[in-house]
Amino acid sequence: MTTNSNFLTRNRGILIFLAVMLIAPFLVGLMEGSSPATILNNAGSFSRFLEGLAIEIFIWAIFALSFDLLFGITGLLSFGHAMFFAVAAYLTGIALKTLQLPFWQVVLLVLLAAVLQALLFSLVLPRVKGITFTLVSLGFASVFHIIVMSSDMINLTGADVGLQGVPVPAFLNPTNERFRFYVIALVLLVATYIFYRRFVASPTGRVCVAIRENEGRAKMLGYNTTTFKIIAMIISSITASIAGMLHALYQPIISPSVADLGFTVTALLIVLIGGVGSLNGAIVGAFALRLVDFVLRRFVGGSASIITGAIYVVFVLFVPYGIIGTLRLRKLNTKAGWKEVLARITGKP
Amino acid sequence: MKTTIQKNSKSIIVLIVIAAFLFVAARGMSGKDVVITILRGFSVGSVTFLVAAGFSLIFGLLDVLNLAQGTSYMIGAYVGWTVYVRPDTFVDVLTPLLLILAGFSLSALWKRLASFVHLETKPKKIVAWLLIVVGLVLLGLLLARYPISSWDLNNYAESPISYSYMADQGLRIIPPEATFTEISPELAILGIFATSSLAAFGIALLNREDNQQNNADWRKYVAPAILFIFGILVALFNTQITNWMFTLSTNWLFLIAVAASILSGIGLGALMETTLIRPLYSRPIYQLMLTLGLGTIGVQIVQAVWGRPEFVWPKPELFTGTGGACPATNLTDLIENQCSTIMLLGGRVRVYDEIFIPIVGIIVLILVWTLLKRSRIGMIIRAGVQDRQMVEALGINVRRVFTLVFALGVGLAAFGGALAAPSAGLTSTMGEKLLLSALIALAIGGLTSFPGAALGSLLVGLIQQFMIKYGQIGIPLPFTDTVFKPSPALVPASTVLLMVIILLILPNGLLGKKE
Repeated sequence: MTTNSNFLTRNRGILIFLAVMLIAPFLVGLMEGSSPATILNNAGSFSRFLEGLAIEIFIWAIFALSFDLLFGITGLLSFGHAMFFAVAAYLTGIALKTLQLPFWQVVLLVLLAAVLQALLFSLVLPRVKGITFTLVSLGFASVFHIIVMSSDMINLTGADVGLQGVPVPAFLNPTNERFRFYVIALVLLVATYIFYRRFVASPTGRVCVAIRENEGRAKMLGYNTTTFKIIAMIISSITASIAGMLHALYQPIISPSVADLGFTVTALLIVLIGGVGSLNGAIVGAFALRLVDFVLRRFVGGSASIITGAIYVVFVLFVPYGIIGTLRLRKLNTKAGWKEVLARITGKP
Repeated sequence: MKTTIQKNSKSIIVLIVIAAFLFVAARGMSGKDVVITILRGFSVGSVTFLVAAGFSLIFGLLDVLNLAQGTSYMIGAYVGWTVYVRPDTFVDVLTPLLLILAGFSLSALWKRLASFVHLETKPKKIVAWLLIVVGLVLLGLLLARYPISSWDLNNYAESPISYSYMADQGLRIIPPEATFTEISPELAILGIFATSSLAAFGIALLNREDNQQNNADWRKYVAPAILFIFGILVALFNTQITNWMFTLSTNWLFLIAVAASILSGIGLGALMETTLIRPLYSRPIYQLMLTLGLGTIGVQIVQAVWGRPEFVWPKPELFTGTGGACPATNLTDLIENQCSTIMLLGGRVRVYDEIFIPIVGIIVLILVWTLLKRSRIGMIIRAGVQDRQMVEALGINVRRVFTLVFALGVGLAAFGGALAAPSAGLTSTMGEKLLLSALIALAIGGLTSFPGAALGSLLVGLIQQFMIKYGQIGIPLPFTDTVFKPSPALVPASTVLLMVIILLILPNGLLGKKE
């Protein structure tokens, strides 16, 4: 990696992705015979549906990115990651519906809650390591899940039915302003990704990678590893909260299933499919998982999740580095292969 | 002596604080409430212990965090229910199952045959995979046409719920037998054996030739032969066995059901370890993710086969008597009338839920404890927990011990499921809930410590039950007149809080190994 390359070349991949995703709705619109103006007015039917699917993918990708920062970069396996997402989603819903706060205050509140949660986790960070941390985080998250599901707070959270009827601010309404929502989610995803890339390349991020590789050695070099873990935790928590907030604004019902272990496992699955520790793997994985899931549900029906589970097991057993990781490993081979193919075609050695 | 106390001073203080807390909690209730609450705590603790013990054995020896343990618990319950309520289904499933096992367990023969095949590596691989795929596809086609009398999820009158209800009412109607319509029985039976043999041969071809010294030992063929003969016998006398099982008393049927669920757990564990976990010993975090995935798949499969709605497993006759002198006041009354409840210190206690389950839990505790302390295999396990590499260096086949321990652990969980289901009912979420309790119990007791698993499970059970009881009578808050009533949904939260507090003070749990 060259250090003196500029912003554009460094983030070429993600910027191309941004451009393609921005043009995509209009292309789809042209294919179904509607002009760009109809897309801007949120009138296209199929493109509108695809935008909705893409928004879900973006939300999952942001969430998976935050999980990858903790698990893939810093090496902290947390089974309570869904809590960040769920707290933000519920807080957004409750603040808009019950407290009726203005939107900017809601955003501030959610960010504050994210930092507070990260600090709560960091209370136990210096004490428990490895698998015990996984258990403790699972414990925290299940307490939150239990509270959300319990009938004691049914007026606020809606218990096991979920939180319904959140009044979404008009300028962000996903039904009327679908395209705007789509662009905002996309830009947030791209911004998060670029920031994460920058973070991992920064000295702080390097220490986080060192903690993953060998915490004892990082400590011996004089780094206070707990501080770096807390930094990673706060960043991850804030990112997951942004995803949770988008989820609360986009979905008509905030179901309590976003707080349980299964939702963390979804993030784990995305990261695993894409490639652990390779940030773009989170985006690739989110696309792959959501689209596979969508197609399976369309054509197989109820037993789709068995197949998704089988895919997961196959990835764990046979593709441990995920799509991106395997591609990176094969990069040299692929280049050599292309060269050979070109040589065969052109007839030159 | 003094040093051990000093070393464990924190654990002792925590234990004393918990004991004092429980004592204060018990003082706040009436005598009969205390008895019932403590017995229920023991009951929940016993079931949790069965799952947690397997978990801790597996984690201690293999370093595998088996998150599929909750699912094993659930599968044990569902398998037991099937044997108990629908013996005809069980008998029907037995034949293909035994034949498949016979085909695959002839591995010694297949390996020997495979060593005669001399091919280049690549064609051999292709042939092997071709054999596996063809074998499995044909097997699947045959199984789809094999008649198995079963329930119908879409028809309420024939759903598991209705069958449970009928069995509970003592209506034991033998459902119509499924008959061979699409294929002849000979073709089905021999075909299943042949196709599974084909797949097994393919797997044997895939293995590298490390079996040069593989001498033909006749003992290796005994097990497959027995399985094959049993499979054929069950197929021949299918109707008779089914009728006989329907005439059995429910007590015997219950025993058979529990045995079947333990065996299914053991088989499942052995299968999981040898096929899926073994390739991942060098990548611990992936094992964890694998078991997590397997757990989710297991839940999906259970939902697809048995359906989502909750249903009950009726208790055996021994615990359902109501006539005459019930609720019993003394032991002879209890035994004579087979009462469902008994009066104990003024409280009415259910015999199965609050007496039988804790007793079984204690028996299992003692059995596993003696197995660990007194037998050779237990010695190897304990040594392996302490230092695995040393045991390997001493020339002990650790691989086989690994498989054994994994099978034992999953078998214990399945046993727990079969034991708990008659009192708690069967849902597809039961595994998840129990896994959480078991994890909390282990974190409290110490992840790799077997007595820790017992202590942690007991504490979790007791605290949960005390919270539930206080949810009914309410806790008077100090300095105010309000009474706080925690809802039952909040109960697990209390144990989680206990776990977090204990882990903050003692990162390795109460009885865990100090680093």
